[in-house]
Amino acid sequence: MSKLLSTFSARHLVFLAVLLAATVPLLLNIRLTHTASDETKRFYANINSLPSGSVVLISFDFEASAFAEIKPLADAVLRHCFRQNLRIIGLSLFAEGTALGEQTLSRIAIEKGKTYGIDYVYLGFRPQYTSAILAIGESLPKEFPTDYFGAATAAMPVLSGVINYDQIATVISITDGGMPTYWVDYAVTRYHARLQTVLTATMATSLYPYVSSGQIQGLIAGLKGAAEYELLLNEAGGGGRGLLAQSVSQIAILAIIIVGNVVGYLGRRRKWQ
Amino acid sequence: MISRLAWIATLVTGLFMVAQYFIKTDATNAVYTTLLDYYQIIFAVSMIVGGIGLLKQHSLKVQRSSQQRRYSLITIAAILFMVIAAVIFGTGAASPYQWAFNNLQAPMQATTFSLLAFFVASAAYRGFRVKSAPAFVLALAAVIVLVGKSGFGEMVSQQLPAIAGWVLNNPSTAAKRGILIGVGIGSVATALRVILGIERSYR
Amino acid sequence: MFDPASLVLLIWVLLTCGVVAYFSYRRRVSRLRLRAIPGIAAIEEAVGRATEQGKPIVFTTGWGGDIQRPTTLAALNLLRFVAGKAASYGCRILFPTHDPVIAEAAKEIIQTAYNEAGHPDQFREDDVTFVSPSQFGYASGVDGIVSRQKPGAIFLFGTFEGEALILAETGNINGALQIAGTDSTIQLSFFIVACDYTLIGEELYTASAYLTDDRRVQSSMYAQDLIRAVVVALLLLLPILAMFGVNLYKEIM
Repeated sequence: MSKLLSTFSARHLVFLAVLLAATVPLLLNIRLTHTASDETKRFYANINSLPSGSVVLISFDFEASAFAEIKPLADAVLRHCFRQNLRIIGLSLFAEGTALGEQTLSRIAIEKGKTYGIDYVYLGFRPQYTSAILAIGESLPKEFPTDYFGAATAAMPVLSGVINYDQIATVISITDGGMPTYWVDYAVTRYHARLQTVLTATMATSLYPYVSSGQIQGLIAGLKGAAEYELLLNEAGGGGRGLLAQSVSQIAILAIIIVGNVVGYLGRRRKWQ
Repeated sequence: MISRLAWIATLVTGLFMVAQYFIKTDATNAVYTTLLDYYQIIFAVSMIVGGIGLLKQHSLKVQRSSQQRRYSLITIAAILFMVIAAVIFGTGAASPYQWAFNNLQAPMQATTFSLLAFFVASAAYRGFRVKSAPAFVLALAAVIVLVGKSGFGEMVSQQLPAIAGWVLNNPSTAAKRGILIGVGIGSVATALRVILGIERSYR
Repeated sequence: MFDPASLVLLIWVLLTCGVVAYFSYRRRVSRLRLRAIPGIAAIEEAVGRATEQGKPIVFTTGWGGDIQRPTTLAALNLLRFVAGKAASYGCRILFPTHDPVIAEAAKEIIQTAYNEAGHPDQFREDDVTFVSPSQFGYASGVDGIVSRQKPGAIFLFGTFEGEALILAETGNINGALQIAGTDSTIQLSFFIVACDYTLIGEELYTASAYLTDDRRVQSSMYAQDLIRAVVVALLLLLPILAMFGVNLYKEIM
């Protein structure tokens, strides 16, 4: 035990503080009161403004690693889309996101009483995301002659009249990485697609330049974004539950910064003396 | 000779891809969509080649009885299990493949992802030391954004989330945009150097 | 045939390509005074340090980019230089990657470097590893290599995403001298904190011009700066014109 303690460094104390800050709040049944940010309201309003029957292409561009953070966001957005009676085309540009995307889409569709092939379809995975995004711009039916389950897509009512991005009201990339930049480069710039994104909190700031330029029309991120969206939808979900843990972790990091400065200052003072 | 052929192929394909963006005819579209198909096929085949290479590499490590033999054995077993399970039972919701994905692969990846929380904290501990005026401004921005973007932001002050948003949307975005413009120009120049054969990593 | 809405973009493409091609082929810049970039100057030092310590070096191009991404191409150009130095010093170079195509390209670059240095026998094919196409599978694989091999230097050049800080902190914990360079703006902040030197955005693309004697490459960098000057001038001019009621943002940018 003493040997273990002797190997303990400041780094380990920092790790321990984060572990406690992230896990203990999950055990408490406390919900923070909050309001929705303008960013979340804009995303919500964009979906709300779409007429019933509009086509939404949702790309599940994430891996299993980020699913815990992505799931509440994806759930909330899908609930909203189905509530608005939008036609949903699901696909994945990441092999790993394929099954998770299908599970998420089917779960929410069943919850909302939607019918496969009429209200939604899942097209599955296409390798090489650059060429997949470009190929949809040329011809979605050619790129996806069959769906994830191997059924022919040509006769599906949900895909009726959909040829390329021109018939898609909005593309939503649900992601844990930089995929929206590929959508901007290839779908927005070349085919003038309308893009929104739902992503993990760490990646959000890298996309703000695209939001302010209008290339990304809406963005919601992280558990806070999910909690805000649930608030607007007036439906409970995982975002509200995770918000406390995320917020306490953020404050713990703030405390760590302050402690780091005090330790640094004391070290420097000792040196001067 | 072969490298010259590779360069000619690069040049022709590169120039065509630029040209077809602006000039759209049935012929250019047909070539373009065919190229996109090839692109996906090459990528899919490369994954198979990569998988075989990975198996070969770890088999060699096992044969050499190196210290890392146990890791290689686990890797080989995992690859073979996933491939065989998918071929025999498929990849449906109740298949062994899906079970392994949901109960082994996903939690392992989430574990590695969660390391980020710890590393962000340790990096913040070292990175936000206030030793100069610019460092103070940086630390102050970090405090505003951390608190303002947390669920406690509104409890501290009704204006704090808006101030945090301003920091992210203005100074932070302006700096990022500056970098992105440079990156954009650099990307074009690098791509052009490759297309024109001025700079290439292959011989 | 031609979409008039693409005219502005076409002009920008022609201008950029024209300037780069012109300076690269026709009017090679004779003498360039290059701004010192500490991260580039430290590359040779890092290889030398690892060699002195008898440790290998690790070079990886990140999970975010595939072979056609210019950032990956720029990183592979740097690999050519790093591998050349490592081969001449007799230092082992480990190259884990997430992409089998990048692995093949890297294998060829490193093998060529060892051949040119006169040590073809020192090249080990299994030092270039295709780890996993999955983001955190790749991160775990690289972390494992770093933790077990304890490299003297780590080069993180390319497009990185969520794995950036995990890799950089693991390298930091293991005491390696780390040089990073990326176009991912969000990951730059992590690299600056966790690495010894960081090439910011465009510096990665210009690095090869610093490390080569090829005038054409250096001239293309000069062309890059010229275009940047035009963009900066427009960014200053357009708001002034807008104040006088002349709004040309959409027409020009």
